[in-house]
Amino acid sequence: MKMMHTLSLLSLLLSWSSIVFALELNGYVQWNKLCPNYEALGSSRVLLDAGKMSGRVTRNGNFSIPDVPPGTYILSVLSHDHLFDHVRIDISSEPLPDVRSYVFGTPLLTPSSVSLPYPVVLIPRHQNKYFSPRESFNLLAMFQSPMMMIMVLTGGMMLAMPYIMKNLDPQTLEGLKGPQAKAANIQELMQSGDPRGRLSALLAAGEETKSSTPVIKSSAGPSTLQQRKGGKGNKRR
Amino acid sequence: MRCLRRLLLVSLGVTAWALHESDVGVVDWNTKLIGVPLHGSPHTAPVFHGDYILTATGNNVLAALNATDGSIVWRSIYDAEDPIMAFSHHDNSVSSLSGPGGSTFRTYDLETGHLMLEKQLHSPLDGRLHEPQNLGISLLRSADSSLNSTSFFTLTNGDSVTHLDHETGETKWTWNSPDQGSLVMYSHVIAHPSTVYVVGFAKSFASYTLHVTTLSATTGEVIASVNIPANIKDGLSEFLAFSSSPGPTTTACIAWLEDGALKAALLTPDLKGKVLGLPGVKYDRIRDFGLSTNGQFLAITTGGAAHVMHLDPQTSSLRPIWEFGDVAPSKSRSDSHFVGSLSRNGEPRVARVYWSNVHSKAVHETLAIQLSEGKGSVSGFAFPFQTLDHGVVRHVAFDGASTGETHENSRVLLTTTTGSIQLWQHDKMQWVREEALASIQVAEFVELPEKKIVTSHTAVDEEGYFERLQRQLSDAKNLPKYLANFARRFATGSYATVSASAASSSAEDTLTRDAFGFRQIIVAATSHGKLFGIDSSNGQVLWSRVLGLGWAAKVGGTIIPVKMFVTRTVSDAEGPQIVLVTQRRADNTLIDTVLFHVNALTGEDVREEDLSTSRHALEGFDAVQGPLIDVYMLPSENRTIVMLDEYLQVRLYPETASSLAEFESFAPSIHLALRAGAPGLRQILGHQVGLNHELSQFYVAYPTWTMSLPQHEEIHAIVPNTRGPIASIGNVIGNRATLYKYLNPHLTIVLTSSPPSRTCGIYVLDVVKGSVIYHVSVPAAGGVCDVQATLTENWLVYQYFDDELPGVGQSKGYRVVSVEFYEGNGPDDKTKSSELSSYSNKTLQVTAYEQAFIMPHGITAMSPTSTKFGISTKDIIVANRKNSIQSIPRRLLNPRRPKQKPTSEEQEEMLVQYDAVLPDDARLVLSHNYEVANVRRIVTSPSLLESTSLVFVYGLDLFFTRIAPSGTFDVLSENFNKVQLVLTVAGLGIAIMVTKPMVRRKMLRERWYQ
Repeated sequence: MKMMHTLSLLSLLLSWSSIVFALELNGYVQWNKLCPNYEALGSSRVLLDAGKMSGRVTRNGNFSIPDVPPGTYILSVLSHDHLFDHVRIDISSEPLPDVRSYVFGTPLLTPSSVSLPYPVVLIPRHQNKYFSPRESFNLLAMFQSPMMMIMVLTGGMMLAMPYIMKNLDPQTLEGLKGPQAKAANIQELMQSGDPRGRLSALLAAGEETKSSTPVIKSSAGPSTLQQRKGGKGNKRR
Repeated sequence: MRCLRRLLLVSLGVTAWALHESDVGVVDWNTKLIGVPLHGSPHTAPVFHGDYILTATGNNVLAALNATDGSIVWRSIYDAEDPIMAFSHHDNSVSSLSGPGGSTFRTYDLETGHLMLEKQLHSPLDGRLHEPQNLGISLLRSADSSLNSTSFFTLTNGDSVTHLDHETGETKWTWNSPDQGSLVMYSHVIAHPSTVYVVGFAKSFASYTLHVTTLSATTGEVIASVNIPANIKDGLSEFLAFSSSPGPTTTACIAWLEDGALKAALLTPDLKGKVLGLPGVKYDRIRDFGLSTNGQFLAITTGGAAHVMHLDPQTSSLRPIWEFGDVAPSKSRSDSHFVGSLSRNGEPRVARVYWSNVHSKAVHETLAIQLSEGKGSVSGFAFPFQTLDHGVVRHVAFDGASTGETHENSRVLLTTTTGSIQLWQHDKMQWVREEALASIQVAEFVELPEKKIVTSHTAVDEEGYFERLQRQLSDAKNLPKYLANFARRFATGSYATVSASAASSSAEDTLTRDAFGFRQIIVAATSHGKLFGIDSSNGQVLWSRVLGLGWAAKVGGTIIPVKMFVTRTVSDAEGPQIVLVTQRRADNTLIDTVLFHVNALTGEDVREEDLSTSRHALEGFDAVQGPLIDVYMLPSENRTIVMLDEYLQVRLYPETASSLAEFESFAPSIHLALRAGAPGLRQILGHQVGLNHELSQFYVAYPTWTMSLPQHEEIHAIVPNTRGPIASIGNVIGNRATLYKYLNPHLTIVLTSSPPSRTCGIYVLDVVKGSVIYHVSVPAAGGVCDVQATLTENWLVYQYFDDELPGVGQSKGYRVVSVEFYEGNGPDDKTKSSELSSYSNKTLQVTAYEQAFIMPHGITAMSPTSTKFGISTKDIIVANRKNSIQSIPRRLLNPRRPKQKPTSEEQEEMLVQYDAVLPDDARLVLSHNYEVANVRRIVTSPSLLESTSLVFVYGLDLFFTRIAPSGTFDVLSENFNKVQLVLTVAGLGIAIMVTKPMVRRKMLRERWYQ
C-alpha cells in the first residue's frame, strides 16, 4: 500500500514537472486607432519561430500558445493588413516567461534591456497601405507649376502691353521708346535684307549701348531711324 | 539612419512600378474558394443551418456559405497539421475539433466567423491516429435549461471526455478512460441533463463487442461501466448510437447488427436494461442519416429496401416506420442517397436522391412523417442534374425547413465527384460553386488568336453592278459606328492602355486577344477529374470538361494530372492545343498513364474525328500501361511529348514516323537525372537514351553517372531550370569589365533532407555529367525541410528558416539567399558556357556570388517573372504566409550589393548598399486587400508587351495580376497627361488666333506710316 502511495506521488511529481517545463504563453492584442477591433484585424495568428507553435487571436484580442518548452523564441504576428513588432520570448524553468523587445534582423546574442510586461501585449504598429495615389490631372496643380506660371505671365504681358503703353504718360513713354524703336528698326532691316543698313543699324545700336544714355535725341542715328520717329510723333500729335 | 536607408531602398524598388487603387479588379482578379466538402463523415459533411450552409472541406477549411446565393459568408483556414475532425452548429455559433485525435477546440460566431474560443484539449503529439481519421472524436453541445447554461462535451482520442464551458472554454471536468484506449475505443457520446453516455467498441476475438460508460454530467464521475456482448464485424456500418428527446427527457439508445439481426439497447444511467431484438428482418447495414438526435436512423435490408427506423421513447420500442423499395443500384437507377432533416415544426423529413437512367434525370423523393399519427407520405419530382458536366452525386444535404405542402421551396445541396457544390430548389439549380479549382494540380497559360477581320468578298469576280453596290452598302453600314468610335477615341483618348481591363467589352464574346496579349486562357487540371479553361482577364470559367476514366469507369478510379504541355500555339494552323499527361489510379490498384489532347480554346477533344456525336466526358488515350517516371516535351517543331515508363523505355506522343525521326535527332543530347537507390542510400542517376533492337523496340534510358548522397539523405524534389529567352549573356560592371553569366542549359536543382544531421541540402547539378556546381546545407527548422528554391538563367534564389542559435549570427528567422553564377574566375573571364560542350572541363569554372537576406515571414511558393524576350529585369514573386502575394525587386536581391557605401562605379551599376533585412513594404504586395491562401504554385507568362509579365497564382484561392518589373517602358507612361498636352496645344492655337489680327493690323499700320 505504501509502495502504491509512493508511486502515485512519483507520478504526480512527474506530471507536475512536465507542467513546469512546458508553459502556456498568453497575451493579447491592444486595440488602438490603427486597429480598433477584431473586424479590422481579421483572422490572425501569433507564431513562435517558424510557426510550429502558434495560437490564433480570438474576438476579444486574446491569444494563447500551449505547451511551449523552454528556449528562446521570436514571436511574430501573421496578420494580413497590420504590422506588429517582433518580440523575444525566453522561457526557462521560472514560472513566468521573460518578454523583451527585439529589433528584427538583429542577433539574439545579447537580449535587449527593454523588458516588456507579461502577458505579452501586441500593439498594431502600422496598417498596410497597398496603393500609391495616381498622378491625376489637376487644372489648379497644372497652373501652379513655375513653368506654366512663366508661360501664362509672358502671354498675359504680350497681350496687355499695347494697353499699358497707351496708358503711360508721354514722358516715360519717350524714355522707353528709344531702345524699343531701335530693336524694331533692326528687325525691320533684317527683314528688308539691306546689308548695309543692317550693319549701320547694328553699329548705331552698339554705340547706344556704349554711351549707356538712353536719351535718343542726342544721338546721331541713321536717317531711317529719325524718319520713323518723326512718323510716330506725328501720329501722336 | 537605418530606417531612412530602408525607406530609400523601398522607394527605389517601388518607383519602377506601383499599384493604384483604381487598378483593383481591373488588372487583377481573385477567386475565393473553400475546397470540396469532406462528405465522407457526418461530422464534416455540409449541413443547412437556417440560411447558412456549413461545411468542412478537403482543403482544411471550415466555411459558412450563404444558401441563397452561394457566396462565402466566412471561412477559417486550418493548418495542414491541424486537420478538421468534426464540427457542430448551434443557434448562433459553430464549433470544431481539429488536430490529431481532436486536440484543439474552437468556436466561431455563426454570422461573422469571428473566433470566440480556442482551446487545446490535449497535445497534438498525444493524438492517436485511427482509421477513419475522425473515429473516436465527437462534439456535443448540451443546453441545460434548468441551470440556464450551455456547455460542450467533447470526446477526443477515443478515450477522454471533456466538459467545457460554452462562454469561457473553461474545463469543468475531464474523464479519461482507465485503459487509455487500448481496450475500448469510444466513438459516440450522448448527453442527458444529468448523465453522459459514452459508447464505444471493445476489441474481442475476430469481432467487436460494445462498451458503455455513464458519467455524471456535473462531476464527471463514473456511474456505471458495462460491456454489452455483441458480435460486430464492421464497426462503421453495423453500429450506431442515437437519442430521442421529445420533451425534457432524453432517451439514449444504441443499435447494432448481429449476424444481420438488428438489436438495440435502451440506456439508463445505471446501465441496467436488456437487449431488444427485432426479429424477422435481415439487415445489411445501418446508418445515421442526420436524425440521430431525433430517434431515427436508416437500416438497409439484405433484400435492397431501406427502412426508416424510429425509437418511440414513450413505449420504448424501436420499429420501422417507412420502407423505401429498390434501393440497391440497378440498371435503371443509381445508388440512393438518404438524408434526414427536421421541418419547421419539428417533424422529420427524409429526402432520397438518386439518378434514374430511364429518365436521364435525378429524382428527388421527400418522405414526410407525422409521428403523432404514425403516418408518412412520399412525393417526388425529377430534376435535370447535368451529369456530363458534374459527374455523379456524392453527397446530398437537405434543408428540411424549406419543405412545405408542395416542393416549390424544398432545397437540397449536392456535392459531386467533380468537386462542384450545387444548390437545387425544386428542379432549378440556384447556384453552383466549382470547388475543384481549389485543388488545381497543373495549369498553363495559352495565348489567344488575334481578332480576324471578317470579309464578305466571296465571289467578287462574278458579281454584277447591283450586287456590288449592295455588298458595298452592306459593308458601309458600320461606317457611322466606326466614325463615332473614332471621334470618341480621338476626343477622350480612350486607347488600349496597360491599366485597362483586358476583358472583351463587346457583347458577342469571341475568344480573341486584346491589344497587349493580356487576355489569355489559363487551362487548369484539377485532382477531381475536371479540366477548366479560365479567361485570364476576369477569372470566368470559359469551358470545362470531365476527364473520362476509360476502362476504369467500371471499377472506379481517380485521375491525377502530372503535367501539361502547350503543343500548338496560336501561330500554328491547328490553333492552340494542350496535352495533359495524367496518371489514372484505378480502384483495382492498376496505374496507367493517360493523355488528354484538347483544343485550348473550346475544350474539344483533338483526337476525336467525329465531332457530330453528342457531348460526353473527355476520353483519354492510354499511352503507357503503367506509371510514368518522367515526361517532357522536345523543344522542336512538332513538340513531341517524350514519356519514360517504369522500365525506362521511351514512349512518344504522337507516335508517328516524323516524331520518331525528330526524337532520333534529339536522342544524343537528351540527359535525364532520376532518383534511385534504397531508402537511406539514395542516389541520383544520370541517364541517356539509346536503341538496342535485341532488347526492346523502344529507346531505353541507360545510366551514365551516379551521384550517391550521404547516408539517410532523402531526395525531396528535382526542380529543373526555368527556361526562358535570355537577352544578354553578361553584365557590364562599373569598371567596364564584363561578368559573363554561367548559362549551362543542363542545370537542375535537387532538394534533399537529412534527418540525422537535421539539415536540408540544396544541390545545383549539371545533368550531363552529374557534377555539382553548387551545394549548400541549411538547417532544418524543427526537423522539417521547408526549402523553396527557384533557378532562372544563372540566378538561384532559395529560402529556409534558420533556427541555429549557436550559429554565427545567433538569430532566428527566414533567410532568402540569392546566388548568381558567373563564368570563370572573375570579370572578363569567358568560357562561353551556353554553347560549351558539357564534357569540357571548363564547365566547372564557375564563380558564385551570394548574399543572404532576412525576411519577416515565411514563403510557400516562389517564381521569377517571365517576359517575351527576357530584357526586363526579373523580379521574384513570392506567396507568403500572411496570405498575400508579394514581389521582391531584383535590385534588392542582387548578390553583388556592396557592403559599404557604393562607390561611383557601383552607383553606375545601380547597386544599392547591402541591408540584411528585406523590407516588408505594403506597396510591394501585388494582391493588396485580397486574401490568397495556401498558395501552392505561381505561374508566370509573358504578354505581348516586353515589359509586362502575367502572374497566375493557385492554391486554395486563385489570383491573377500583371506586373511590370522595369516599369511599362514600352507603352506611354501612365502619368502621361493627354489633357495637358491638348490644353497646351489648344491654348497656343487660341493665342495665335488672338494675336494674328493684332499683328496684321500693326504691320498694315507700319506699311502706312513708313
